[in-house]
Amino acid sequence: MKGILLEFYKIRRRKIWVIILVLLGVQCLWGLWAFRDMNEKKLSQGYMQCLYHFTVLNTIMMPMVAAITASKICDLEHKGQTFKLLMTVMPAGKLFDAKFICASMYMVAVGAAQMIFIIVLGKAAGFTEPFPPGYLFYYFVITIFVTVVILSIQQAFSLLFSNQMVSFVIGITGSFAGLFSLFLPRNIQRGILWSYYGVLMPVRMNWDSQTRIADLQYIPVDWSSFWLLTGLFAVIYFTGRRCFIRKER
Amino acid sequence: MANIITTSGLCKQYGAAMGVKDLDLSVPEGVIYGFLGPNGAGKSTTMKMILGLAKPTRGTITVFDKQVNRRNRLAILKETGSLIEALSFYAHLTGKENLKIISTLKELPDSEIDRVLKFVRLEDQKNKKAGQYSLGMKQRLGLAGALLGNPRLLILDEPTNGLDPAGIQEIRELICSLPKSFGITVMVSSHLLSEIDQMAGHIGVISKGELVFQDRLSVLHDRSESRIAIRTLDNIAAGSVLGSQGITCQEQEGYLLIPKLNDNQLAGYFMSFLKEDIGVVCIEERKKTLEDIFLELTGMVVKL
Repeated sequence: MKGILLEFYKIRRRKIWVIILVLLGVQCLWGLWAFRDMNEKKLSQGYMQCLYHFTVLNTIMMPMVAAITASKICDLEHKGQTFKLLMTVMPAGKLFDAKFICASMYMVAVGAAQMIFIIVLGKAAGFTEPFPPGYLFYYFVITIFVTVVILSIQQAFSLLFSNQMVSFVIGITGSFAGLFSLFLPRNIQRGILWSYYGVLMPVRMNWDSQTRIADLQYIPVDWSSFWLLTGLFAVIYFTGRRCFIRKER
Repeated sequence: MANIITTSGLCKQYGAAMGVKDLDLSVPEGVIYGFLGPNGAGKSTTMKMILGLAKPTRGTITVFDKQVNRRNRLAILKETGSLIEALSFYAHLTGKENLKIISTLKELPDSEIDRVLKFVRLEDQKNKKAGQYSLGMKQRLGLAGALLGNPRLLILDEPTNGLDPAGIQEIRELICSLPKSFGITVMVSSHLLSEIDQMAGHIGVISKGELVFQDRLSVLHDRSESRIAIRTLDNIAAGSVLGSQGITCQEQEGYLLIPKLNDNQLAGYFMSFLKEDIGVVCIEERKKTLEDIFLELTGMVVKL
């Protein structure tokens, strides 16, 4: 707990939330643009529309949010050359954990802000679809979970390499890989970390090529993908943590 | 005197090269131990291994009579302060906030921050961002961080690097006062002999990863031998005069070098030169400096 509080103390005046807020704002504006022409059909599937579009937007934006947050939280140690100091007063593993939890808090805040935005949008636009608290909560959990897994890989690279471009390139590449993977078969999607926003999304689009009508529907949780991602998370987190601990200063 | 740090057969290998080789250090308690060596000799690597920041390839490290391992490292380091290589600080935080981070990790009260700030004379600058500090102030902030919790042992790696003469003097004075004021044992490294000469009581000289000398500094001073250098108008004739009286001499850069003699003997030879019409231009006492000894020890004597 002491380590986590210290991480928040260290990022005083770094204004990490500003860049996160800007990216969140861009995402929300982008989302609003998608809802500019809401007809009766769309209003009847309002929340589904939101969850679908926001999931796609998350695939693009959230890896960048994770990359920037991890970079900001780790870069201050590289810039201050403080690893040699910190490693004599605390275990390296605890520093890794504290940074991860601190950065994850920001991801939770972003997920919560998105959920609040969807609820407010639903009320303001007058969605006629019944309010789906369960699916909204599921969306909230999945958004945070996938982002946190991406954050773990970003943090490992941000801590291991002093040049933060490495971390940014991974973040941007992952973001595009995730986006393009949405057009690929599901089994390939499951092999790409950044595509899990789509893999685990609670809404599916049915496209009828004859009537040329797209229809949305809720789908059950894909537990096998969820557990696969949990396994990936454990492997990435503990590999990154081990590499960080073993690195000589 | 008990040793506070002992290393035995300490080695560190980087690829095929040995950065540190079979190092047997003994740092006595309550002294300032100067760890001297040219750049790249293995000083920082050794200090990092003592602090557990680098893993030894072979050998053992004992600090406070306990052999350091992965499990007890941090418990041992609780009584140790350190300042390794580059300055460590968060530029966007104030001096006090920087110290707060270390004191929180060391579970120390805030009064300890005020104590060390006062000691390094930064109490008036404590609310200024560390990034705006001068190099000397940053170094003092680093020293303050190392002193938090009044450690028994302080490990300082080239603490005066890059400082101006005033800054060097200030840091030196602070370091010199530590054993007397707080009973702290200080291990300080430098590549500058004059620096160590002014601070340390004990010294270890490392060259190419190997310890080439370790003892009291006074022992090294005793090694410096005096010689008399005489410059005459005819060094060959003067050499013959000295030789005929059983004095061995060698000519070097226009001077005749002879062993140190007492004043009466020297005056006698001077009279002999005058009798032989050999004009004496200059007589001086030459002492082998610590620097000469250091260069000999480290095998870095360079003839231009």
